[in-house]
Amino acid sequence: MADKKTVHFIIERQDSPTSAPYTEEFEVPYRPALNVVASLMEIQKNPVTKDGKKTRPIVWECNCLEKVCGACMMVINGKAQQACAALIDHLEQPIRLSPARTFPVIRDLLIDRSVMFESLKRIQGWVNVDGSWEVKDAPIQNPKTAATAYEISHCMTCGCCMEACPNVGTQSDFIGPAPTVQAHLFNLHPIGKFNKEERLDALMEKGGITSCGNSQNCVEVCPKNIKLTTYLAQLNRDVNKQAIKNIFNK
Amino acid sequence: MSHTSFYVRRLHSLCGIVPIGFFLLEHVITNAKVLGGPKLFNDAVAELAAIPHDIMLPIEICVLAIPFLFHGLYGAYIALQGKNNPSQYGYTRNWQFALQRWTAWYVAAFLIWHVVYLRIMVKGGGTPISYELLQSYFSNPIVFVLYTLGMVAAIFHFCNGLTTFTMTWGIAKGPRAQSVVNKCAMALCALLTVVTLIFMSSYLA
Repeated sequence: MADKKTVHFIIERQDSPTSAPYTEEFEVPYRPALNVVASLMEIQKNPVTKDGKKTRPIVWECNCLEKVCGACMMVINGKAQQACAALIDHLEQPIRLSPARTFPVIRDLLIDRSVMFESLKRIQGWVNVDGSWEVKDAPIQNPKTAATAYEISHCMTCGCCMEACPNVGTQSDFIGPAPTVQAHLFNLHPIGKFNKEERLDALMEKGGITSCGNSQNCVEVCPKNIKLTTYLAQLNRDVNKQAIKNIFNK
Repeated sequence: MSHTSFYVRRLHSLCGIVPIGFFLLEHVITNAKVLGGPKLFNDAVAELAAIPHDIMLPIEICVLAIPFLFHGLYGAYIALQGKNNPSQYGYTRNWQFALQRWTAWYVAAFLIWHVVYLRIMVKGGGTPISYELLQSYFSNPIVFVLYTLGMVAAIFHFCNGLTTFTMTWGIAKGPRAQSVVNKCAMALCALLTVVTLIFMSSYLA
């Protein structure tokens, strides 16, 4: 009977950004090393509910299938995580899938995460270059901070930290842990650090780092194990110094 | 762009420790004197009451009433920006985050009652605070329980606030330092709670 083993899903669906959510249940044949994305693909091939009712295929987003792109972030059994890295063998059944409602839902499990891109623009999450010509003898990364920069650069703006953070959502203007900590990455860069003050000033605006409430959920859920709370504390230190400069240097 | 919310939020953090946190410690210490007998407590209260009214009232307004109102009102605005989710993400710090907000609501309501009745109506009405007055007040079990809860909630809110203060000001940065601070703050919370339970129980005798 082992070949008849199935996986039970309860999936929260939504037909349009404004319509009411509802749930549908599905059963997917089990196979070793099955993950949530592969299960959703099975449902897509045969969109029939547990009760045998034909339904629309589920809409979700995924790209790399190896926990690098961040696109398939959804709430699985109550926790925000990457669906491609969520192995069925590690999950308790029935497996409940729902969209990350910190972001606007487009359809089913598909969400609109463009707010994080807007936040990255706000904190100047880039390095200014002089032009498009070749730069000879470019400054090297500081080897003492390179490991930290490499760690923060793993951020794939998946939004797990945004979903888990109690201070991110429609009730708050907090830009969230991921875009905030990116400011530290570019402040560490040998050219990016020239704009450190602008980034810190941006973090001192409404909805910036001061909206962090220290729940520390971000560091618990980050799929790339970025030490978000450590860098938030570092940025707190930096903005406090910047505030003293702003008060006394002008 | 405006940095007003940054400075207001930092002021909110600072004023939870100085003067509000110090005032809470003063309360615990003065009230604990009841363990040395009613006379020691009455003497300590009389000593504070001996400070001339013209000096005490401006201090009470500027150092206590205004910081308390600011911390409370801006704190309510902060609390409304959070959606507590410890049932979904049951990590210790997340429970502390939710408890910080739940205790805040209770302490705010408790303080309105406590200050309006004991400070404004009783003491302001000319009746000096004494052991005997409190004993008859606490003989009502509902008052006793609500007061004990108010103290414990305020103590937790203060001690957890010490932890978040060190994060907000970038003092404790790494996970080890933050964990040590949190453990010390929770140990202080346990100590102050035990002291409070002991001195409150002396009113039961």
